[in-house]
Amino acid sequence: MPKFLIVVFAFFVTCFAGCGFEAPAPEAENGGGTLRFISGAPIDTLDPQGTSWLIDFRMIECLFEPLLRVDPATQQLEPAVADALPTVSDDGLTYTFSLRPNARWSNGDGVKSTDFIYAWRRAMMPDMAADYSGLFQEIDGAEDFFAWRTQQLANFEASGDSAQDAWDEAKTHFAQTVGLAAPNDATLVIRLRRPVAYFNELAAFAAFMPLHEASATAFEDIDPASGNVTLQTAYFSSPDTLVGNGPYQLTKWSFKQQMVVDASPHYWAKAQMKNQRVVMQVVSDPVNALLRYHNHEADWYPGVPTAMPQAAELVDSNRSDVHYGSAAGTYFYLFNCQPTINGPSGERDNPLADSRVRRALSMAVDRNLLVEKVTRLNQPVAATFVPPNAIPGYTPPVEAGVAFDPAAAKALLAQAGYPDGAALTGLSILCNSEGGHDKPALAIANMWRKHLGVSVQVELVEKTAFRERRRNQGFTIARGGWFGDYRDPTTFLDMLRQSDGNNDAKYANPTYDALLQTAADQLVSTTRAAQLAQAEALMLADQPLMPLYHYTNLELFDPEKVQGIHPNPWNVRRFEAVSIKIRR
Amino acid sequence: MLSLLLSRLIQLPLILAIVFSVTFGLVWVLPGSPLSRNDGRQPPVEVQRAMERRYNLDSPTRFVAGYLNGVLHGDFGPSLQYRGQSVSGILSKGLPVSMSLGVAALAVALFLGTLAGIAGALKPGSMLDGGSLTLTLIGISLPNFVTGTVLLVVFAGLLKWVPIGGWSGPRDMILPAITLGLAPAAYIARLVRLGLADVMGSDYLRTARAKGASHSRALFRHALKVAYLPVLSFLGPAAASVMTGSFVVEKVFNIPGVGEYFVQSVLNKDQFLILGIVLVYATLLIVFNLLVDLAYAWIDPRINLDD
Repeated sequence: MPKFLIVVFAFFVTCFAGCGFEAPAPEAENGGGTLRFISGAPIDTLDPQGTSWLIDFRMIECLFEPLLRVDPATQQLEPAVADALPTVSDDGLTYTFSLRPNARWSNGDGVKSTDFIYAWRRAMMPDMAADYSGLFQEIDGAEDFFAWRTQQLANFEASGDSAQDAWDEAKTHFAQTVGLAAPNDATLVIRLRRPVAYFNELAAFAAFMPLHEASATAFEDIDPASGNVTLQTAYFSSPDTLVGNGPYQLTKWSFKQQMVVDASPHYWAKAQMKNQRVVMQVVSDPVNALLRYHNHEADWYPGVPTAMPQAAELVDSNRSDVHYGSAAGTYFYLFNCQPTINGPSGERDNPLADSRVRRALSMAVDRNLLVEKVTRLNQPVAATFVPPNAIPGYTPPVEAGVAFDPAAAKALLAQAGYPDGAALTGLSILCNSEGGHDKPALAIANMWRKHLGVSVQVELVEKTAFRERRRNQGFTIARGGWFGDYRDPTTFLDMLRQSDGNNDAKYANPTYDALLQTAADQLVSTTRAAQLAQAEALMLADQPLMPLYHYTNLELFDPEKVQGIHPNPWNVRRFEAVSIKIRR
Repeated sequence: MLSLLLSRLIQLPLILAIVFSVTFGLVWVLPGSPLSRNDGRQPPVEVQRAMERRYNLDSPTRFVAGYLNGVLHGDFGPSLQYRGQSVSGILSKGLPVSMSLGVAALAVALFLGTLAGIAGALKPGSMLDGGSLTLTLIGISLPNFVTGTVLLVVFAGLLKWVPIGGWSGPRDMILPAITLGLAPAAYIARLVRLGLADVMGSDYLRTARAKGASHSRALFRHALKVAYLPVLSFLGPAAASVMTGSFVVEKVFNIPGVGEYFVQSVLNKDQFLILGIVLVYATLLIVFNLLVDLAYAWIDPRINLDD
């Protein structure tokens, strides 16, 4: 045998080590049905406090259960680990939950009120720096505790204390100052710093799920150098260590391949479960995912990317397995509202500081044309920031929104000092380059040129640069998108408060802020909704952002074969209520 | 040969240190924060500061010190994009997948490339030569995502001969290995054809034939050996690149390899993952080049590596 063949052969033999093959999960053994669905991205973590991704939450909701939950069919809040909706004190500040006596962890332990306090404390600590820390700050003392602990950690090195001592001190400080109490194992009392009308919604939110304190503490890492206390990620990644209180328990997790969960033997509503196993297949390429779905290798494909070319065909197809509906999110363009703009050529006056210019630009956009011919997905066109029909008890002020009216737009622009649109210069639309934002931007720039004579550039930049520039007002007009986190208008409207960290437009209207504040203190829900609508109307008149359309959800499943999925704007899922016709 | 091995092994950490410094510098000046999310709610400023502190992103010196200390203990740090995953975990799960696919692709490349190259060299200007040239041209010019998608739709979607992507067994390797192997196959075919064309007219081959060696024996036993040397030197970097995965092929065929991270980690400014991946790639490149050099010396003893 020639030497070079030996070399080549030896090379292959040495390299062919450990292919990492992963067989697909079989059907549930007890014949109770297996739900196989496609996820477009892998799960990053199963830590309920450690993520803000919808796809992570989707699986976390299989494994953990919060105090309350939303029924996907009726969109009503109902008790989950709690045995009833909480009792609320007259001032709206104290919530008392009593826990279901038969709520169990997957190892058989009872779910205790301290398990909630343990999990929530993590989210309130700078050590963990949770995405949703901000939501916990409504709990009395939480914000101060965060600041206290930050200070403690900053002084840690100089103090010479042991990390364990500092941690013990922090735990004591937390117990004394933060408004969470567990008078007994079955009662959880929460004291808020102000009335939070939507606190029940938060209690149903994934970040507010409990952790099994007894097993989690063994995985606490106390860093002797910095004093930071974190949970090892290993706790959440292995079926051997993760203890959940949800309908399912983790059976197998292969990152970027699949996740398998099986019905938990200790779940309190086990008898009502419609399937025994859920298999999440990770398929990031939408074409591959569609092939897989059509070959019946998956029962359900939620979250079909609407940016893919095939999406418009699916939407138009009238197929019974295509489910297309609005989502609780809005696609919009932000206007930089600051009086001056920092450009490459130094500071200059910002024409967009004048709300008339912003309104005029917004009025010159034909949103119907945009969704019919450009995105081709016929999304619901947006007049308001809060999507209609998404939040129970709130009707956004659609009449206060801007309608397409090129003639009025031209007149308004003239009134603002630009009788000739061409005099309005220096504007550009900032977009991130991926995700198909370029086409709508070009179409809108074209509409402005056609209807107003205004020439606007389209600037496509890479996404981290985009985020950075938007955050630091390095733009005149920037695309934006916003999904609600919880079912209350403030999840949208708070973004435009002057002091809000997400107010990238730097919109500053004291009346708007005051209206939001009045609504925040209001205990009567109808009055509160009216005040919030008034605030939104005021904001829409100013148009710090120009709503374009509301986001949509596209999912595929055959209603003949799969029952119990109720597509809804908030993507509330309940996997255990989905039944699958037995496959042959 | 031993001294070559030793000197290369001593060079390895030096080269890696340079690669690390350059990558770190570039990554640090990339705009944007790896901790911010694309759309939607950003955490309060104090939470973002706490996050930066937690990952040492607030100070380059603390970052480098912490990172190097971790690497020495086999910990490449956390992924900032895939929270809850460690870089070591991601690489240890993804690399074997990409590597075995890469090896399969190389096998395809060597087989197809050698065949096409020999066919071309045997009868230059013939139909066979034209066919092999066309094949190599297609292999070089067609982008992966086109070949991959066509193969996937035809053989997995319509004919159902192979599974639709995934990574559950050797059958899943067939289409991606062909897709990934086509381009290197084309290069190899060109190299073999050129090499053979040179060698076939040489004196020593004529001597071999004169001494009674059959045409095929002269070709396989004598000519190919020499003609293959350029292929060998091409194989080093090709192996490193093909074995660290391909973003496109892995995406199209839904293969859980590491190819995707080469692109995504940079877009997401996932510092730890970028550094981890660059270090792994650099190591592979160095090791494979060394292997090629060693193989060279072994095949052709006239090559002296100790100079």
